[in-house]
Amino acid sequence: MEAKAATPVMMRGEGLGSAPGENPTFAGRIELPYTLTTGRAASVFLAELANHKLVGSRCEKCGDVAVPAQDFCAACGETTAADFEVAPTGALTGFTATPAGVLAMIRLDGADCDLVHKVLDAELADLEVGTRVAARWAASPAGSMLDVEGFEVSDAAAAGEWPQPFEATADVEPVLEQSYDLRLDYDHAFGPYYGTLFDGIATSRRIQGVRCPRCTCVLVPPREYCDACFVRTEEWVDVADTGTIKAFSVIHMEFVGQVREPPYVYAEIVLDGSATRLIHSIGGIDVEEAKERLHTGMKVRAVWKDAEPTGSLEDIDYFEPVFD
Amino acid sequence: MFAKSSNRVAVVASAQTSLKSRWANRQHVDLISEAVSAALKGSGLRIEDVDFVIDSGSDILDGRSISNCGFLGAMGAHHKEESRVEEDGLWAALYGATKIGAGSAEVGLLIGYSKPSEGDVSAFYWSQVEPFYQRPVGFGHEAASGLQAQSYLAEHGHSEEIFADVVAHDWAKAATNPWVETDDVPAADAIRASAVVAAPLRELELARAVDGAVAVVITSQRVAERVCPTPVWITGIGTAIDQHAFARRERGSLPAAKVAAEAAYKRAGIGDPTKLSIAEVSASSAATQLMVLEALGLASPGGAPALYRDGSEIHLNPSGGSLPADPIMATGLVRLSEASLQLADRVDHAPAGATSAVVHGAGGVGMQNHCVFTLEV
Repeated sequence: MEAKAATPVMMRGEGLGSAPGENPTFAGRIELPYTLTTGRAASVFLAELANHKLVGSRCEKCGDVAVPAQDFCAACGETTAADFEVAPTGALTGFTATPAGVLAMIRLDGADCDLVHKVLDAELADLEVGTRVAARWAASPAGSMLDVEGFEVSDAAAAGEWPQPFEATADVEPVLEQSYDLRLDYDHAFGPYYGTLFDGIATSRRIQGVRCPRCTCVLVPPREYCDACFVRTEEWVDVADTGTIKAFSVIHMEFVGQVREPPYVYAEIVLDGSATRLIHSIGGIDVEEAKERLHTGMKVRAVWKDAEPTGSLEDIDYFEPVFD
Repeated sequence: MFAKSSNRVAVVASAQTSLKSRWANRQHVDLISEAVSAALKGSGLRIEDVDFVIDSGSDILDGRSISNCGFLGAMGAHHKEESRVEEDGLWAALYGATKIGAGSAEVGLLIGYSKPSEGDVSAFYWSQVEPFYQRPVGFGHEAASGLQAQSYLAEHGHSEEIFADVVAHDWAKAATNPWVETDDVPAADAIRASAVVAAPLRELELARAVDGAVAVVITSQRVAERVCPTPVWITGIGTAIDQHAFARRERGSLPAAKVAAEAAYKRAGIGDPTKLSIAEVSASSAATQLMVLEALGLASPGGAPALYRDGSEIHLNPSGGSLPADPIMATGLVRLSEASLQLADRVDHAPAGATSAVVHGAGGVGMQNHCVFTLEV
């Protein structure tokens, strides 16, 4: 996940005076690119739309004709294949209208189940259960369900006998894959604890944690309950922007969500006055030199960015090693 | 199974945060720890007594993968057995109760949480839709709800006017529930005047997504009788799932909910569910709520509108149910918490003299999956 943009507004937590319910949020986005495998039946169904054919699967065991074609019979579980064709005409069995348009359940002539698709150029008031419709084919097929643009109201009766055995059209390549990009946007709340931490960083480069009254550990980032003790933390504590390296690694690989150009050094740092490990980068030292000279237990100090603070741990550019 | 066994399982404590449209100033962890600490407070049990934690949430809603891993501290799950169910929270209760009923643990902490306000509820349901045949045409949860409502009306010859009665009833109940934030309580006229969003359903006839968290503590009989003056016994559980392909399901009824209910009633020895005191049910819309009540055997097919028009013996959603407050993924666990608190007479909106309840949770686009609990005191 990456932030869409820096959030310029301060005062995320309640601790520094913002009104409840008016707190700014952290914009997050998840983008996941997929290459989906269509499988046996769908690969044929999607390809044959370009030939204006609606291919179903007929179960040899129970005779059920499913459209679009399926790999398994929904009625009895038998393996099925894209082997029967139904008419591009049918009747509505149900319909609704959403902001996306009119969607209907369509019983195609020759099918034993409904197909869900758009009804084009129609108002709900024009539709009834039983209204006849016909497929409108897309001008430029792309191997997608939208190669049927939708269905339009039409009095056309089913032409011929349906379903009919389907023979694969010569020279039609099955649609084996479809790409799909899932994009999800979020507005995450900071909450009073992270909010107070980030407000402190933004206004005065102040890093605050909370102390657990049972184990006495100071936790950064702060949180209402101690993870280990499940005791309410309550007491706010300032911690230093200096600390100790507990572990480090030179990162050479590239990965999704990376914010620095490899190679760089990542380290677990225990800030002075806290008990938790903060993951941040080590800088101010050449990577090759870092491999030789960094060691666990050595001291580091924060180097803050010159830019206007945004109120995040990224306001610390990196931690630089303190050599004796 | 549970009623006849020596390993009876009881709900001994529960608590929730306020359910409201947007908890802008709380993270998930803040809501979760509030619910968990409130559930344990006064329960006679400490976090150290908890044998396992089962929680329910959605990675898609939460905006991070395996999101429970980030919430463990707030759940009190440190160094405990913890599992996450990517289903409605009532399934967390199902697994937890089964575990205790089987004798492998004595104290379970069940947690449901949700912050749909941080993301896009349509995208959450959209992500569940079959990608080749259904997603491209714009089919989603709202369309499914509209198609279900249209079919229900068509099958039974009802007018769409009936939906507003259901919604008005539940919002009026929610207004008596201090844990549901209700700024405006819409009356039937206002509901009938709200915008059509999935015809014939109007905006206020679809469940309102809310933020919140709930925690429920269940125990063995041995522990329950030691710590709890009013244990609420789980007498039956059933669950059933329908076909993923919406086109393959009944649209004007919920046969999977019926199967789930019949399994729960059989285990509990309940012959006539209309004699139960309370029904706390989940639904995505006023139409599916009527279908749920019929599937639970509380009305004949097409007969549920009469429960609202003429009144009913069984108390329907005394908490307000999911139409005014649907913390998606936590909704069914909120129902279990509510029914338990009402049977133990620990909330002011509890119906007087209630001794038994049926609790229902659901999941998926167009309510594909169903879980039913029966309870008694």
